[in-house]
Amino acid sequence: MGIELRAAVVSREAASRRRPPARRRFGEAGTAWAYILPACVVILGLGILPMAWSLILSLQRSDLIAPAEWVGLQNYDLLSHDPAFRAAVGHTLIYTALFVPLSIVGGLGLALLLNRKIRFIGVYRTLVFVPFVISATAQGVLFSFIFDSHFGLANAVLHWFDIPPQGFFADKNQALYLLVLIGLWSGVGFCVVVYLAGLQDIQSDLVEAAALDGAGRWATFRYVVWPALRPITVFLVVWETLQALQVFDLVFVTTRGGPLESTTVVVFYVWQQAFEFFNAGYAAAAAYVLAFGLLLLSIGVRFARRRDHEVVSRP
Amino acid sequence: MTVRQPYGSVPTRRDFLRGGLSLAALAGIGPILSACGSDDDSGVADDGTVTITMWHGQNEQGKETIDKIVANFQSKNPKIKVDASSGGVLADAMLQKITTALSGGSYPDIAYIFGPDIASVARSPKVANLQSFITPPEAKWDDFFPAARDAVTVDGKVHGFPALIDNLCVAYNKKVFKDAGVPEPTESWTWDEFVATAKRLTDPGKGIFGTGWPADGGEDCVWRIYPMIWDLGGAIVDDSGRKVGFDNDTGLKALRTVHQLGADKSAYPDTKPGSETMYQIFNSNKMGMIATGPWQLPAILEAKVDYGVVPLPSYSGQRVTIAGPDTWTVFDNGSARVKAAVEFLQFVTAADQDVQWATQAGSLPLRKSTSESAEWKQHLQSTVGLDVFSNALGYARTRPTIRNYPRISQPLGQAITKMVLNQGTPEEALQAAVQAANAALAAG
Repeated sequence: MGIELRAAVVSREAASRRRPPARRRFGEAGTAWAYILPACVVILGLGILPMAWSLILSLQRSDLIAPAEWVGLQNYDLLSHDPAFRAAVGHTLIYTALFVPLSIVGGLGLALLLNRKIRFIGVYRTLVFVPFVISATAQGVLFSFIFDSHFGLANAVLHWFDIPPQGFFADKNQALYLLVLIGLWSGVGFCVVVYLAGLQDIQSDLVEAAALDGAGRWATFRYVVWPALRPITVFLVVWETLQALQVFDLVFVTTRGGPLESTTVVVFYVWQQAFEFFNAGYAAAAAYVLAFGLLLLSIGVRFARRRDHEVVSRP
Repeated sequence: MTVRQPYGSVPTRRDFLRGGLSLAALAGIGPILSACGSDDDSGVADDGTVTITMWHGQNEQGKETIDKIVANFQSKNPKIKVDASSGGVLADAMLQKITTALSGGSYPDIAYIFGPDIASVARSPKVANLQSFITPPEAKWDDFFPAARDAVTVDGKVHGFPALIDNLCVAYNKKVFKDAGVPEPTESWTWDEFVATAKRLTDPGKGIFGTGWPADGGEDCVWRIYPMIWDLGGAIVDDSGRKVGFDNDTGLKALRTVHQLGADKSAYPDTKPGSETMYQIFNSNKMGMIATGPWQLPAILEAKVDYGVVPLPSYSGQRVTIAGPDTWTVFDNGSARVKAAVEFLQFVTAADQDVQWATQAGSLPLRKSTSESAEWKQHLQSTVGLDVFSNALGYARTRPTIRNYPRISQPLGQAITKMVLNQGTPEEALQAAVQAANAALAAG
């Protein structure tokens, strides 16, 4: 393969010597474009165009069925006064604030436990990862049966320990936290796998050297393991935050935003506005508010990382 | 691999790329071109054969029956070719599918649209107006049950044919009644009796509920309260169309009834979307009564439940129930195709097929004449309680086909959920629901 490629390059050079330079540049660029065009078409068609279209949509009053009406920034103005949207943002932030730290701490803890040579370690690692592979829809159905307020397994177990039966998904004060719990059940697995990979990347001589210097378990973790896991942690924080802010499928299957709108998250609110109330323009505006939040988050992380690099590279 | 092929004998890389590009371009632009080219004549062949597309959203038994009816139609009408498929979705997701199809400009001729959704879909200028087709007496339009006719009529214009009709009656579990020593309900019972019976049947120790009510705030939670409101003289929207019609004692009294069920803890609140659990509890002899439609009877029979069916209770003594009809909405892909679609739907809803559809797909007749036919009367013998549903068609009413309906249903659903979950007072719940719904209606 390598020889063929080199041969092709040589022949290209030989051929180009015979051509005027302008033509050559055009020819090279043309080939390059030909290579990346399929990817460009896909990204343009499936990424950029829908984004641009929904931006336009967010400036219209549209139900996707009848002709749209241009309203400028009115949708955004209405959104800023909409208590239901504010509640949805609140629920999303609570979900994220709980889900991200817990999944990362839990993931790190489990990864440390699983990063050792004991019997059947492969089985344990697989078991921890399995929930991540199960679709959110299946999880939702599964857990809505477990947490049924009257006939669920969870209350039967609580009954065993003489704890009074809980409302779970029928209790507006519990439903959102229950969703965090279900999210963690599957979300932790991903953190575990990523952390495990990071842990196995740490050179054993570093750890040995620390041990020779008299570092205990905690000191080894604090000064050797944790610094090595820092970039992974940053990645996981960003990734899990993006996931948490966009949570939808779990809510859709288990609660549909209920009971009494206690679990309406932003993406569910967008869906409800677009496909239940036919406020496609308004929904697009809400989606853009979320997108803007995600953008700010990404920029913030970029800056934080750049600063981080500067700190690290300083002698 | 290491030997370079001489130029000329195989296509060069550039030739290859060029060929690939033009292929890709064709593949990418092709659908766009064909979409642009859809005018009034598409689907009409030179020999006059019209092809129409139908998205029926059915699976299993429903799909089988439709396929049979289509094959039957095809053999009698070679000039119309019906391309029937589920549309790639089940009926629940048809609204989203059709919304996307309409905004994309490529839509079927007939689609299965739920009753409450037709008003939203009918805002599209691409939905056909069938008024001229249904006025001639041979269309026998008045033979359809009133609720079925109302369901396809938006602002006085007919946009489709009735597809399916059902209504709410109360199925009760004879074993639960017997074990609790409670007399079975009679045909003429009141909501007070319903509430009292539910309370007597409830036994938390054995995990038995008197009845159940969906508590997800969805449409299945909401439509059960309308017969109560209608019975008391209220309405969903008032005559002006700008305000709800239950902002008075009618709404309050109905909510109080639900609230009593919640306070007594005699109704299982089904918070899961789809209300499946509620019916499973009934089928496992853990629930005494459930307001339901004929669609639930096959599952009850399969669970071998000893059951009976009575009409919904009332406050005033008059018979009221709600029908949730679904529609075959017709879309305008040119006059030839609309005409063919109507011809096909006339066939689908004609007496023979109406009986076939109602008996095999487990629903009810759309036409009065069908409900009185010998074939249907014979079918009624086969399923306990089906006659009660069939009789209820005569007095069943339906939700108004107004576009803002979801804006009424959503807050009202929250109010009912509060009652079922025993949170807050009926007065507060009603006020919040009325305020939200009226705001949406006033905004238009």
